[in-house]
Amino acid sequence: MEATTLTPSIRVPPMVLLVAALHTAVLPHFRLFDVSGDVLLLVAIAAGLISGPKRGAWVGFFAGLLADCFVRTPFGLSALTYCLVGYGVGSLKAGVLQMSWWLPGFIIFVASAVGVVAFVGMGTIMGQEHLWSWRLPTIAGVVALLNVAISPLVLRGMRWTISTSEPRVAK
Amino acid sequence: MAISRRPGRSRTVLIFLVLISLTFITLDFRGDGGGITGGLRHAMESFFSPVQSVTSGIVEPFGNAISGVTGYGDLEKENQILRDQVADLESRAAVGDDIRKALSDALALQDLTFVGDIATVSARVVSIPISNFEQAIELDKGSKESIEVGMPVVTSAGLVGRVVEVSSGRSRVQLISDSTSAVGVLLPTSNERGVAEGEGVNHDLLIDFIEPQVKVGAGEVVVTSGVGGGFPAGIPVGNVARSKAVPGDLQRWVTLELSADLGDLSMVKVLKWKPQR
Repeated sequence: MEATTLTPSIRVPPMVLLVAALHTAVLPHFRLFDVSGDVLLLVAIAAGLISGPKRGAWVGFFAGLLADCFVRTPFGLSALTYCLVGYGVGSLKAGVLQMSWWLPGFIIFVASAVGVVAFVGMGTIMGQEHLWSWRLPTIAGVVALLNVAISPLVLRGMRWTISTSEPRVAK
Repeated sequence: MAISRRPGRSRTVLIFLVLISLTFITLDFRGDGGGITGGLRHAMESFFSPVQSVTSGIVEPFGNAISGVTGYGDLEKENQILRDQVADLESRAAVGDDIRKALSDALALQDLTFVGDIATVSARVVSIPISNFEQAIELDKGSKESIEVGMPVVTSAGLVGRVVEVSSGRSRVQLISDSTSAVGVLLPTSNERGVAEGEGVNHDLLIDFIEPQVKVGAGEVVVTSGVGGGFPAGIPVGNVARSKAVPGDLQRWVTLELSADLGDLSMVKVLKWKPQR
């Protein structure tokens, strides 16, 4: 059976399982300066890059909800942050006429850093002052770097997951 | 490459999702971590825990190897510290006896007869901290073994943290290095009490409320005070790393190096002791 004949609804569960395993059991072991990458944030960014703002927001929302299941910050905070990041990246991508080879990597780097800072910023507004620390620039920088490093794998996985048999073409 | 053809609809979707997120956040605040959102968290954790256990077991050695390479400087430093400690141990045996005596006296003064009689449950650490913003681990035992929220978690070296969430077969432990953690501590030599607050990963704890005139020596043993009822008294927390009185400050600046190695936990014991609050 060819991969393209599978509908997205069939492709999503194994992808969710894979991403959750990466997020909870793989990436925490691969730390740089005691910071691990954020694959769920990367999934939101990848969805925005591949499918535009609407799907970026949806995927970001559900990826964020999944992230919220494994932390003690207010449930919905990651969902809120990631859906905004997914939407923002999708909108940015939609406005770009031609993608240079380096642009997706650059967008992933910046969006990851912005996502981490936005998470802390919104969390702080909601009374989670403990999220703020002087390590924030390090955390944002390392998450951005690690997300760029794993982005080829995630982009490929996301393309396979959310592509349809009849790809829509921008008009 | 597909892009959205209706920007107005995209914005509507975004607004809808933001509102849903805010609703979840409100529900979580109102349910105080329980309720619908708490149930969802437990369900997801239970669902993913087998995946976590299996995957962790496979990738941990690779992760350790990479951590070893990226943390080579730390390892070298740690080696040097260990060599110094070995050299110091013999000469400090007598001092160790004094500290034990002081600790024993302090415990006796407070009539802490229950220390050592608390029932324990051994548990395996199945998940290391996932988030970059909180220090929490997950254990393979839960309410089936009568573990409850608030119970202290220790290793043979000392205090590790406290249980903050329990499901039937799992419990989540907030480490004392977490920036929201606070532990009532006692310096047995001076009988001074303070509160040790977490400062995040790989940072010493900071002890608040120590009077500036109190003499605190580096290396002094620090134990839980039992004040506040969050932990039983007498559990080793760590040793004083640095101490100094800053002119004009109302308290002494004291940092605490943890006894337990929170970065290398595999087996822990949960004390079946309920917080006295």
